[in-house]
Amino acid sequence: MNKRDLLNFVDHFSLSRGDLQKLLNTALAHGGNFAEIFLEYRVYSSINMEEDIIKETSENIMLGAGFRVIHGDQTGYGYTNDLSLEKITRAALTASSIAEGSPSQNSPPFQSTPVIPNYYPIHQSAQDESLENKIALVKAAYQSALTCDRKVKKVKVSFIDQTRYITVVNSEGQNLSDVQPLVKLTCLCIAEKANKREAGFSGGGGRVGMEYFSKELTPEKMGEEAAREAISLLEAVQPPAGEMPVVLSPGHSGVLIHEAVGHLLEADFNRKKTSIFWNKMGQRVGSEQIFIYDDPTISFFRGSYNIDDEGTIPKKTPLIERGKLVGLLQDRLSGKFMNKPLTGHGRRQDYTCIPIPRMSNTYIDQGEYDPDEIIISVKKGFYADKFQGGQVEDSGKFTFSVSSGFLIENGKLTAPVKQATLIGTNIDILQKIDKVGSDLTFGLQTGTCGKEGQAVPVTDGCPTLKVAKMTVGGFK
Amino acid sequence: MNGQEKSHELMALAESLVSFGRSQGTDEIEVSILDGLEFSVDVRLGKIESLVEAGSRYLGLKIIKDNKTAYATSSDLNTDTLKQLVKNAIWRAELANPDEFAGLPMPKPDAIDIPELNIYDHVISELTPDKKIALALETEKIALSDRRISNSHGASFETKEIHSVLANSHGFIHDYKETFCSLSVGIQAGETDSKVEDYWSSTERHFRTLDPPEKVAKKAVERTIRQLNPRKVKTQVVPVIFEPTMTNWLLGFLFACVSGTAVYQKLSFLSDKLGKKIGNEYITVYDDGRIPGKLGTRPYDSEGVPTRKNKVIEKGTLKNFLCNTYAGKKLNLPSTGNADGAGVGPNNFYLHPGDISPEDIIQKTEKGLILLRTIGHGLNPVTGDISRGAFGLWIENGEIAYPVSEITIAGNLGMILNQIEEKGNDLEFRSAICGPTIKIHELTVAGE
Repeated sequence: MNKRDLLNFVDHFSLSRGDLQKLLNTALAHGGNFAEIFLEYRVYSSINMEEDIIKETSENIMLGAGFRVIHGDQTGYGYTNDLSLEKITRAALTASSIAEGSPSQNSPPFQSTPVIPNYYPIHQSAQDESLENKIALVKAAYQSALTCDRKVKKVKVSFIDQTRYITVVNSEGQNLSDVQPLVKLTCLCIAEKANKREAGFSGGGGRVGMEYFSKELTPEKMGEEAAREAISLLEAVQPPAGEMPVVLSPGHSGVLIHEAVGHLLEADFNRKKTSIFWNKMGQRVGSEQIFIYDDPTISFFRGSYNIDDEGTIPKKTPLIERGKLVGLLQDRLSGKFMNKPLTGHGRRQDYTCIPIPRMSNTYIDQGEYDPDEIIISVKKGFYADKFQGGQVEDSGKFTFSVSSGFLIENGKLTAPVKQATLIGTNIDILQKIDKVGSDLTFGLQTGTCGKEGQAVPVTDGCPTLKVAKMTVGGFK
Repeated sequence: MNGQEKSHELMALAESLVSFGRSQGTDEIEVSILDGLEFSVDVRLGKIESLVEAGSRYLGLKIIKDNKTAYATSSDLNTDTLKQLVKNAIWRAELANPDEFAGLPMPKPDAIDIPELNIYDHVISELTPDKKIALALETEKIALSDRRISNSHGASFETKEIHSVLANSHGFIHDYKETFCSLSVGIQAGETDSKVEDYWSSTERHFRTLDPPEKVAKKAVERTIRQLNPRKVKTQVVPVIFEPTMTNWLLGFLFACVSGTAVYQKLSFLSDKLGKKIGNEYITVYDDGRIPGKLGTRPYDSEGVPTRKNKVIEKGTLKNFLCNTYAGKKLNLPSTGNADGAGVGPNNFYLHPGDISPEDIIQKTEKGLILLRTIGHGLNPVTGDISRGAFGLWIENGEIAYPVSEITIAGNLGMILNQIEEKGNDLEFRSAICGPTIKIHELTVAGE
């Protein structure tokens, strides 16, 4: 079977440079300041294994065009997946209607495409890999989890790979394209013992090729990790409740930085003054040990990209340095409005969505403390190991669900703990981080972040962190 | 092209793909097409922030050959692309394993009664953009006119018109149209470092039943300002009253635990509880896809099985798991008309209300918490464990004393179902999953 037949980007958008130029002028017909066309063609496929069989496979195609017109700080948006010239022109006119005047400019000719770095230099594309080999990978993870221990009663493994072709052209003469691979292998495992039932999870991937699964993370290791987590939770006790010192594990705790700090440093919330940070630029918002960055240019990471979804070449962006607020995640609309340079954080889920400021790979940089000494320094407290997720409000209040952790007693990790909740206010916690470990690690390459109904792939990371005092929710 | 021609065109496309699939050697094939029109306007501080209008189509197909299943979806409705997808699916199915439970439902000749269900409102397609923009602007203006409100997340008005077509190789071919409209506003009160926020929305099938701007705005204001100047409380075990929006959240978790997919996968703590007591006599839960005009109403599910009224829990006894055809076969139960894509979804899934007013429930509570909102992800269907960050109002001597924040609630759904001691009379079908105010005998509220 020649699968390539379905994947020719240009064939699906039979639009010449001249057509795109004309459509941009159509979009500016009512006098908008800026017009943009976003073309997307995405092919993704999945394999699911459970109950010892390959249950199903899928192949999916997403194809469409989105038109955006910005007029002042207002946005008009139209999209279509019917690519007839009539429907495409209608989408351009829909977007144009945000302005209500006559055209003031024509779109200039496209500039020559700059050479941009490639952050995903893969060898063996998952899309080109045979289905048989991908199924073999799924089976390997499944068998590894199932045979790890007799207490393992159920395993579910899924493999998803996609290739996303995007082109962004705009009325500033930009014309940029990117081909973004994305792969994810996940394993869910249920273990049982004496009427107790617990789940463990593991996974990996990123913007990688198939070589990742022999070099970085083998399916066997992943299956084993999921099984081990489920089994250790069988012995877990209920979490303590109340305020106490909390040590955050390296890697997995990055979600806390993502939720509690990252979102509120997205420029739109600051432009609108709804974020607690909006009037704190240049001010101390955390302890001096805190350095936070968002970097879309880390090779092979799930959150990385060569261009953002509005055609900006991204940069590693400092957000907090030495505890001081130094930067925000900008998209085109907020950057223009706040008169700040673009950082390349305008992302969208797909062609049906207006781009908004988003994170990519967000992390707290490492400090000086030895991670073991951090734990030894806590007499009685809680060690948060793995998280199920978290949520934050613009006011800075946040909640995290810890799926597994440990009690800390006399400087040692003791009983495993399940299902605890951490709550707090972001600036309060940033100030209370009193020890930053020397072991920066990133969490699983499986994360997806949701904002305003749009899901995009991200990662986050951090070293071992000690928070002097934090509220832990539990039963006791 | 008028509506009727368009409808015929999509039905013809679905039927032709079913025939093509059969000619290529599938045993069974199902094709669904969604054709949607979407409009949304977001306004903020008196100005349009964004305006989106679009039409789009999606096609999904499922093929079964030798008891092996493959799926495909496409937003590219080019016939050559779709035929290639069918061929690819047949080839991929060969590499899957046979599954004796795979298969499409046989069509039931039951009356489908689409007009009776009252889920399409032609008024929605006739609303002018100016009218829709004005509704959003007015809602935000009313909310901001309250001096205690300090900032706005904006107000939105959205409409959707969806035309669904479903065909399969057992001769099922039907279509229906439905509409949705929704008006919402989100606001903040208080100064930068002590902000509180909330929102309110009204979503309906029909424009005439949508709450007017005044009502949506006032409710959002009331919900926001009641949280101003929150206190922390000590960790303790107290009665907890769930407002209807919180009952909805709890029921959403219950739905995940009675979904046939979770049950056959043993991912639900209720897996082995069919026919058993799982709650007290206050708990009666239905799933009903047939209530005219409601958000979860539909004539048939995504596999073409007619919807019906399912008794899920009756006076605390678990009566039914909600199934699609596959989960039903796995559990040796009938499909309940709950297929939703490849999984199981709710129709109108609701807790039967009681007859006491929410005010009386509060008055009868000496000390406790009214749960207003929760944030976080702490729900585990495998164990029923719940652990979430929460915002609430503290009750002392039957009266609301002050708001509380930075608390968490922890408990277990199985335990909560046995501890409901009051059930309000305030059930409103504001979402597909819904319930009235309820009072739980006791839960751990963790604070200082």
